[in-house]
Amino acid sequence: MSRALPEGLRRTLRRFAGLSAVERVLVSGAAVVVALLVGAVMLLGSGYVASCREPALFLAGTSFCFDPVAVYAAMYQGAFGTPVNQALTLQRMTLLIFTGLAFAIPYRAGLFNIGAQGQFVLAALATTVSLLALGPLVSGPVATAVLVPVGLLAGAVVGGLYGLLPGVLKTRYGTNEVISTLLLNFIATGVAVVIVKRAFNNPEIQGTVTRSIPEAATLQPWLFPPGTRFSVPVLAATLLLVGGFWWLLNRTTLGYDIRVLGRQQAAAVFGGVDDDRVTVLSMVIAGAVAGLGGGLYVMMVVGRWQVGLPALGFDGIAVSVLAGNNPVGLVPAGLLFGALQSGGLAINFQLGIPRELVDVLRGLVILLVATPELFRIVGRRLQRQGRLRPAGGESG
Amino acid sequence: MSATATARRWVFAGALVLAVLAALRLVVPAGSVPGRMLASVLDVGYASSVLRLTVPIAFAALGGIFAERAGVINIGIEGFLIVSALTTVIVARRLPWAGVTGPAALWLAFLVGVLVSVAVAAVFAVLVVRYRSNQVIAGLAVWLIALGLAPFITLTLFDSSSPTIDTFGTWSVPLLSELPVVGPVLFDASPTVYMLLVATPLAWYALRYTRLGRRIRACGENPKALATGGVSVSRVRYAGVLISGVLAGVGGAGFTVGQVGTFVAVGQTSINGRGFLGIVAYLFGNYNPFAAVGGAMLFAGFDSLQLRLQQIGALDIPAELFGILPFVVVLVTITLVRRTRVPAALGEPYEGEE
Repeated sequence: MSRALPEGLRRTLRRFAGLSAVERVLVSGAAVVVALLVGAVMLLGSGYVASCREPALFLAGTSFCFDPVAVYAAMYQGAFGTPVNQALTLQRMTLLIFTGLAFAIPYRAGLFNIGAQGQFVLAALATTVSLLALGPLVSGPVATAVLVPVGLLAGAVVGGLYGLLPGVLKTRYGTNEVISTLLLNFIATGVAVVIVKRAFNNPEIQGTVTRSIPEAATLQPWLFPPGTRFSVPVLAATLLLVGGFWWLLNRTTLGYDIRVLGRQQAAAVFGGVDDDRVTVLSMVIAGAVAGLGGGLYVMMVVGRWQVGLPALGFDGIAVSVLAGNNPVGLVPAGLLFGALQSGGLAINFQLGIPRELVDVLRGLVILLVATPELFRIVGRRLQRQGRLRPAGGESG
Repeated sequence: MSATATARRWVFAGALVLAVLAALRLVVPAGSVPGRMLASVLDVGYASSVLRLTVPIAFAALGGIFAERAGVINIGIEGFLIVSALTTVIVARRLPWAGVTGPAALWLAFLVGVLVSVAVAAVFAVLVVRYRSNQVIAGLAVWLIALGLAPFITLTLFDSSSPTIDTFGTWSVPLLSELPVVGPVLFDASPTVYMLLVATPLAWYALRYTRLGRRIRACGENPKALATGGVSVSRVRYAGVLISGVLAGVGGAGFTVGQVGTFVAVGQTSINGRGFLGIVAYLFGNYNPFAAVGGAMLFAGFDSLQLRLQQIGALDIPAELFGILPFVVVLVTITLVRRTRVPAALGEPYEGEE
C-alpha cells in the first residue's frame, strides 16, 4: 500500500500532538463528564421505556425506572466500595495499561496498532501452554521462581512475534498496518481455538478450555482478600514499566526517533531516522507488551486459556486515546476504565441494568477525545460570553 | 493501472483459493464419503446462499467506497450496520401495535433502519468534516458505541436477542426464474439480493460518470484542486459519508429483514464483523465497486461452505480454521499483490474552509 494513507493520518496526528498538555487533560476530563451526562440521558430514556414495579425516580409527573444519580453511585460503590471491588478495578486497570501501551507506542511512531487483541489472545495461549508443559517438571519453592518468568516470557515472545508480522509486512510490502492488524485479530482467535481444540482441550469441562496452569505459577493476591484476582506486586511492576516507557520515549534515541517519525515522517527520514527499523521495533515492542498483558491475564485472573477472552485489546485503544497516548496518562485513564468495567458489573448485578451502558460510555469518551476542536469552539464561545458579561455589568 | 492491478489481484486470489481447495482434496480424497459430500454441497443451494450472505458485506463495502473515495476513512461502517439492523427489528415489532402489518410494515421498518443509519452517518460526518475529528478514532468510537448501545437497547426492550420478525422471503421473476441453474440463483431470490445486483453497477456508474461521482473522487485525491474549482470540499465529503450511511443501512436493515429476522445482542451482535469484512473487501477490490462485491462474495463463499460442511459434519477440519481462511487469503493477496490505490487525501481533514 502506498504511503498516502499514513501521510494523511500523520497530519491528523500532528494536529493532535499540537495540543498542549493542559489542554489535553482538560479535553479528556470534559469528554468524561459529557459522556457521563449522555449516559444519564440514556438511563432516563431506557427507564422511561422499560416497565418496572417500583419506579426509582419521579420527574415532572413521569416515572422512570432508573435514577441516573443512584446508578452512578452504585457504579462507584461497585468499583471502589469494598476491597474485593477495588481489587477487580485495579486488576482491570493493570491489564488495560498493558494493552494501552500496545496502542500508545506505535501511535507515537505514526502507526495504528489495532492488533493488540490478537497479540493478547495468542500470548495468553503461549503462556498457558508453556506453563502446562513446564509445570510437572519443577516442584517445591523454586517452582514459582522458574514458572512465573517463563510464563511471562512466553507471552511476551509470542506477542512480540505477532506484532513483528504486521511490522515486517508494512516495511517490506507496504501493507497498511490498520488492515493487517485487523485481519490478524480474526486470524489469532481462530488459530488459538483450533490449537486448543486439537491439542490442549480439557476433556473434563465442556467448551474450548485448557487445563489449569500449576498453582505455583498463579500470581497470588497480597493485601487483598484471598479469592480476589489481583496482585499488588504486579501493579507495582506495571507502574515501573510505565515509567520505563516514559523514559524510553522521552530520554532515549529510539524514543526520539519514534516521536520524530510520528510527527514528521519526511523530516525524520531526512534527518537520518531509520524508518523501517523504528516501525518494526515499535510494533514488536507493542506486541510484546500486549503479550505480557495476555500472560498476566492467564497467570493472575483465569489460570487457563478459554474462548471468549475479554476484549481488553480493543479497550486498550480507548484507554490510550483518553491518555493522549502518553504512558503516564495511561495510569489515570486505565483506572477510570477499570472502574467503569467493575462498576458495570455491579449495576448489572444489583440493579439489572445492562452492563453495556459502560461500553457506550467508553465509545463516547474516545469519540469526544478524538474531537478536541469541539471543545475548543465551545471554550472560545464561553470565553467570548465571559468577556461580554463584565462589559454589560459596567453599562448597567 | 487500477484495472490491471485489480485483475492481477483477482488471478492471484483465485489461484490461492484453488490451492486451498486442492489441499482439501488431498485431505479428502474424491472417492471417499466426505469427498462425495463435499461435491454435493457445492450446488445451486450453495450459490444462492452465497449471494444471500454476500448482501450485507457487499453493501458495507459499497458504502465504504463512497466515504473513502471522498477522503473520509470510515472504520465505523460496522456500527452503521449494527444500528440499522437493530432499528429494523424494533420498528417491525412495534408497527403492528399501530395497525400496520404485513409486507408494508416490513418495508417501513427497512426504511426506518436505513434512515437511522443515515442519521448516525450524519453525526459522524459533522464530527469528522466540521470538527475535524481524528477519523480512525472517531470511526472506532462509532463502532464501539453501537456495540454497546445495541445490546443495551435490546436487553432493555427484549432479552439477549430480539423476538423474530417476518422476512421478505423470495421474489421470483416470471420466466427467468425457470432458466436452469441461473434461474433459481439469480431470479428467485430475496429482494435484498436484487438491490445488490442493481446497486453495484449503479455505484460503479455513479462514481465514474456522474458529476457527484467525479467530485467525490477528486475530493479524495486532491481537495484543494476541487476547492479551487469552486466546489465546497465539505459538501462533497458530507455527501460521500451520507451515501455510505444509506448503503450500509441497506446492508444492515436488509440483513435483518431480508435474511435472519432477528437481532442477537450477544458478543459481536448478529452483524458479527460483516462491516469490517466489507472494508477488507473494498481494499481487496481496490476501491472498484464490482471487484469489492466480488471480494465480499469470496468471504460469503467461504462462510457458506463452512456452514454447510458443519451441518453435514463432512470434514475433519475445525470450522474455525475454515472461518479464518478468507482472512488469510485476503491478507496474503493484499500483501503480495500490492499497489492498493488509496485516495491521496484519505484521512486528511480539509483545512481550507471555515
